[in-house]
Amino acid sequence: MTIHEAAEALRAREISAVELLSAAMSRLERWNPTLRAFITVTADSALERARQADRELAAGQDRGPLHGIPIALKDLFATRGVRTTGGSRVFENYVPDFDAAVVERLHAAGAVSLGKLNMHELAYGITSANPHFGAVRNPWKGERSPGGSSGGSGAAVAAGIVYAAMGSDTGGSIRIPAAFCGTVGLKPTYGRVSRFGALPLGFSLDHMGPLARSVRDAAAVLNAIAGYDPRDQASSRHPLVDYIPEEGCSMRGVRIGFPENFYFERVDRDVESSVRGAVARAESLGAEVKPVLVPDGAALNAVGQMILLSEAAAALAPHLENRALFGEDVLRLLDQGRLVAAADYINAQRLRRKLRGEFEKLWAQVDCLVCPTTPITAPRIGDLTVRLGGRDENVRMAATRLVRGINVLGFPALSLPCGLSGDGLPIGLQIVGPAFAEATILRIGAALEDGGVAIPPCPLA
Amino acid sequence: MNDWRALARARGLDLSAQELDAIAQALERLEETFRPLVKELPAELDPAPVFRAENSG
Repeated sequence: MTIHEAAEALRAREISAVELLSAAMSRLERWNPTLRAFITVTADSALERARQADRELAAGQDRGPLHGIPIALKDLFATRGVRTTGGSRVFENYVPDFDAAVVERLHAAGAVSLGKLNMHELAYGITSANPHFGAVRNPWKGERSPGGSSGGSGAAVAAGIVYAAMGSDTGGSIRIPAAFCGTVGLKPTYGRVSRFGALPLGFSLDHMGPLARSVRDAAAVLNAIAGYDPRDQASSRHPLVDYIPEEGCSMRGVRIGFPENFYFERVDRDVESSVRGAVARAESLGAEVKPVLVPDGAALNAVGQMILLSEAAAALAPHLENRALFGEDVLRLLDQGRLVAAADYINAQRLRRKLRGEFEKLWAQVDCLVCPTTPITAPRIGDLTVRLGGRDENVRMAATRLVRGINVLGFPALSLPCGLSGDGLPIGLQIVGPAFAEATILRIGAALEDGGVAIPPCPLA
Repeated sequence: MNDWRALARARGLDLSAQELDAIAQALERLEETFRPLVKELPAELDPAPVFRAENSG
C-alpha cells in the first residue's frame, strides 16, 4: 500500500491511524532484530500521535496526505527529548531540546514517526555497517549491504515497516540506499529543504530528502518538508509548487538526455541493461531521447571529494580529540581531511563554479539526464572492492561514482527502481534535473512508474 | 605531489605505518585527478559562493 492508498483508506474509515501504526509496529518487531534498521523506537509517542491523528480526522481536521501515516527519521535529525546519535558514539547521549526543521514540518503534516533509523556512522560512508549500532542488513538479501549512509531508511521502507523515511544525501546517501534497497529516493535541490537541526557533514553538500515506496509518495513528503527556513543559511525562497504528479501524467514532449560519456562507463551489465530498458520505455511512452555529452564527471567527483574531506574535518574537528569514539573508516577519512590545504579547498570551490557553469548549458538541450544511480547492485556486507570493467574498484568509490557529482552541482536527483539483477537485487535509475525542477523529475519518474518501470515487492514487504 | 606521510607526521597524527599508507594512498589518488584541473583554472575565477550576506548577522 502506498501513502496515497493508505490516506484514502483512512478517510474512508476503512482503517485508523492507530491500526496503521499497529501494523507498522508488528513489522518492526518482526524484522528489526534482523535488519537493525532502527536505533531508537518511539512507540509511546507514535501511539499518542496516531490517536491524535484519528481524533482530528474524526473531527474533520485534515492535515493532508501524510496525516496518520507511519514514517521514520534517520538518526541525524534532532528530535526533542529523543536521543539523536548520528550513528556515532560521539553523540550517543545527545538528547536535543528541539526538533529539526523537517521533523517539525512532518509533525505539522500529521505524520507518525516510529523512531530513529540506523545509518553509516556520522553519515560518512555508504555501507551502513555501523560499528556501534550494528550493520544494517538489506531486506532483499540479508548478507548484502543496504547502502548508505541512509541505510536504515532504505531498509525500513523496503521491508514495508514505514511508508517513507527521511534521509540525508551528501555524496549519494539517499540515492544509494534507494537503489540498493529497491525504493524511491529523492535528493532535492540544495536549499529546497531546510538543513536546520540535521547533524552537518559537508556544509555545502548536505541535502535532506525522503525515501519512499513510490514516486508520488516521495513527492507527498517533499510537499510537506520543502520551503524557506531562516534558520538555514542556505535555505532558498524559490517558489514552491505542488510536487505530486497528476494521475496519468505524460512523457510526451519530455526531452531526456542520455549521457554518451562517463555515466555508462564501468557499469555492471545487468544495471546497464535495466537502465537502457527503462529509457527505451520512456521513448515508447512519448519522450524524446537525446544523446548528450556531459562535462567531466571524474573532475566533478574529485572536486566533491576535496570539498567533503575539508568540510567534514571542519564540522567534526571539535570531537576529534577523542579518537577512540570513531570507527576506523570514518577516522581515516577525517584524518585525510585534516591534511587538505586551504588552497585546495578554495580551488575545489572554484572548479565547482566552472563545472556548474558547464553543466548548466545541458539544460538548454534537455529537461533531464537519465543514467544508473549506481554502477553496481548491493555488495556483500564487508566487501571492500568490486570488480568492474576488468578491474577492482573500492566499493565506496564505485557506489558514489555516479551520484557524488550531483551534490557538487546542487541539482535535484531522483532514484527509482527499474529492474532486478540476475541474482535478484534491485537496480536504480537516476533522473537528474536543473535546479528547482523537482516537479519535472518527479513527473518523469511517475510516468515511468505508471508505464510499468518497476520491480516486484521486496520479499519481506 | 604532496608528501602526505610527512604532512601527517608534521600535523602530529599518531598513526601506524599501515594507517599512514592508507591515508597517503587515498590522497595521492585524489591529487592525480585534482592537480591537473587546478592548473587549467582561469586566474579570475572566484570560488563558488556558499556564504549569503542577506542571511548573516
